Amino acid sequence: MLSPYRVLDLTTERGFLCGQILGDLGADVIKIEPPGGSPARLLAPFFEDQADPNRSLYWWAYNRNKRSITLNLETDQGRELLYRLVAGARFLIESYDPGFLNERRLGYADLAAHNRELIHVSITPFGQAGPKAAYADSDLVILAMGGPLLLYGDEDRAPVRLSVPQAYLHACGDAAIGALVANHECNRSGTGQHVDVSAQQSVTLATQANNLAYRLQADESRRMAGGVKVGAMRVPLVWRAKDGFVTLVFLFGPQLGVFSQRLMNCLYEERRCDIATRDKDWISYGALLASGEEPMQEYERVVGVIAGFLASRTKADLFSLALERGLLIAPVATVGEVLASPQLEARQYWRVLEHPELGRAFPYPGPFARFSETPIIYRRRPPLVGEHNYEVYSRELGLSAEQIRDLAQREIV
Amino acid sequence: MLPLEDVRVLDFMWALAGPGTTRALADYGATVVRIESANRVDGARTVGPFKNNQPAHDGSGLFGTYNAGKLGLGLDLSKPGAREVILDLVRWADVVCESFSPKAMRAWRLDYDSLRVIKPDLIMLSSCLMGQTGPLSGFTGFGTMAAAVSGFYNLCGWPDRAPSGPFGAYTDYVAPRFGAVAVLAALDYRKRTGKGQYIDQAQAESALHFLGPALLDCAANGRMSQGLGNDDPNYAPHGVYPALGNDCWVAIACLTEEHWRQLCSVMARDDLVSNKSFARLPDRQLNRGELDQIIGAWTGSRSAGAAELLLQGAGVPAAAVKDSRGVCQDEQLASRGYLIEIDHPACGKTVIEGSRFVLSRTPASISRPAPIVGGDNQYVLQSILGYDEERIGELLTAGALQ
Repeated sequence: MLSPYRVLDLTTERGFLCGQILGDLGADVIKIEPPGGSPARLLAPFFEDQADPNRSLYWWAYNRNKRSITLNLETDQGRELLYRLVAGARFLIESYDPGFLNERRLGYADLAAHNRELIHVSITPFGQAGPKAAYADSDLVILAMGGPLLLYGDEDRAPVRLSVPQAYLHACGDAAIGALVANHECNRSGTGQHVDVSAQQSVTLATQANNLAYRLQADESRRMAGGVKVGAMRVPLVWRAKDGFVTLVFLFGPQLGVFSQRLMNCLYEERRCDIATRDKDWISYGALLASGEEPMQEYERVVGVIAGFLASRTKADLFSLALERGLLIAPVATVGEVLASPQLEARQYWRVLEHPELGRAFPYPGPFARFSETPIIYRRRPPLVGEHNYEVYSRELGLSAEQIRDLAQREIV
Repeated sequence: MLPLEDVRVLDFMWALAGPGTTRALADYGATVVRIESANRVDGARTVGPFKNNQPAHDGSGLFGTYNAGKLGLGLDLSKPGAREVILDLVRWADVVCESFSPKAMRAWRLDYDSLRVIKPDLIMLSSCLMGQTGPLSGFTGFGTMAAAVSGFYNLCGWPDRAPSGPFGAYTDYVAPRFGAVAVLAALDYRKRTGKGQYIDQAQAESALHFLGPALLDCAANGRMSQGLGNDDPNYAPHGVYPALGNDCWVAIACLTEEHWRQLCSVMARDDLVSNKSFARLPDRQLNRGELDQIIGAWTGSRSAGAAELLLQGAGVPAAAVKDSRGVCQDEQLASRGYLIEIDHPACGKTVIEGSRFVLSRTPASISRPAPIVGGDNQYVLQSILGYDEERIGELLTAGALQ
């Protein structure tokens, strides 16, 4: 779909996903690594737990559908080569600290001089400017500063993050949108621009607007083991099943109350509750609790009844029941269960990529969307360090074998 | 001229994952006409935070943020004349977006195959939890449920406890990114080829791209990752430590040996650097518990803000864990226009989140607050569709415009 466009991907581990999204959509993405390879190739986990630049699963997860070349941007000749590549590219994505590229004459203005159409996307922790733009960062630090972290976890312990780093993935998603918005504009005006993404600002989306509570003078949600506290209400979302956990949304109002009514009908049929409990006004129940007309203890009692029922059934049972009766129950799947999901199998989601250098093939998470006219194709497994040096420098930039040997000797490629 | 000023979107999205997609387009100039019936308002209107804590359909900061910049057309599809309005809007639109359960659009004969007959180059995005096909396509619900079935819950929490799960409808924070990208790429393709297309987005399938390393670790190594608390396979120390005050915390992550040495120095514990229990990364990983206690004792005797300043001053990644107030008062976010004050016709002055990224030459412009149901009926019917007063009167009489 984006096959006419070339993307130069200079990102560190902060920014891999953005280029992969564009690569999945068909763009020609060239990952530009320092000689010896990106340091992020040494991030765990590793295939067979062997630390090796070509075995990092973190690298694999975010670098398919890219080619790799090596280039030393610390040298004049390296920079000259980058300018030549920029001349033929539509996008350049990078995630260095603000100022890093400017100091090397590789900032947006420097690069745009070689290609007016260039769309330069910067993915940084806090944005290009501002009082904390130079703060030291990490996934955890960004989540703390953007709002999500305080909301995740159990109330009697420290807030907790998702165990797969998330902050920069949100930023990369926004970066891909920004890149394509700028591209749409460039197709009209013939001029590119700079897209400035702040991971801190990107992760604010993961608070479900709870960040606004202070300014709106509203109740703030608080974290709670397997759920959330809103005002005086404790809303459980993770419930124990016989063989693991399920999530169940038990809430009220004109739309959610309908689901709660269905759930209570099931509980009555299962002889878990009496008619009076079944026939409470589940549509208005939230308002009744808020006004005190319905005591909070009664809500807690009903929650206990539901918990007792769920704990007596397996995840699979409960999921079948949910599908059959239209309930808001879903199993809390383990990673293994996700890989074995019949739904994902039926949709042929997993895409197997061969790693000939390892003599193995692995299933990768599949297309993020299904396009009727231009399906996403997994054309390339994540590249080895500098795997496409010859192809790009010789065939596409027209350097001679001798010139490439010379560049290699001087550690420019 | 805004980048997407030439893009017209007919928006049937509701809740979060869908409207988040079209909000991103509206920020950059797309004309988005949002269909909503007063007889069944968007559930996001019933979810807080609410202005002044007063639950009201137009007072939700959540709805307000996800739908700013869009036009509101109130339409009851079961009423005479309503369908014609929709079909006229389809002819007008470049993109139709919907996020109902898979059978809904078919039942209304508004599915892609029906609509492409009247608009051959239409781009249509359908976004639902599990996708349009497969045995679970009928599984409907919310992003909390998609997050549970796609593994996010089980990867968030403590190893010795039941999963905590991330806050709220997590896949709804992921899917809008992929949805917007999909639409923009399809527009680009259409511009070059004249061809529209249908996009089937399973929110769960998009979201799995945020769990790549854990999925590959299972597929390639057979390892079943679970919630690790705040531990990280690559770094130690790496955690969230108590500070003075109620529910106040400091996040600290040492990504390099230099970070670790500086942390020790700031804590006036240079002895730890040479202590054989903590000297090398594998030692620190092995003795995480003891290390976390030492750091927690240091952070526990000062405010989170003071700890952040001391550590950041030494170049150590560290931050006070912010609550809503902390985020609202954060100077860095403020310098990027994170929050926007906006006048809403029904609820007065209110606050929404701005665009999350900045385009240097053509920045976002949030032209209007989230619509009240049917708030833009006149504009949409008259100025966009060119209906005369008589036709609008007929629709009103038929009860279609609510």
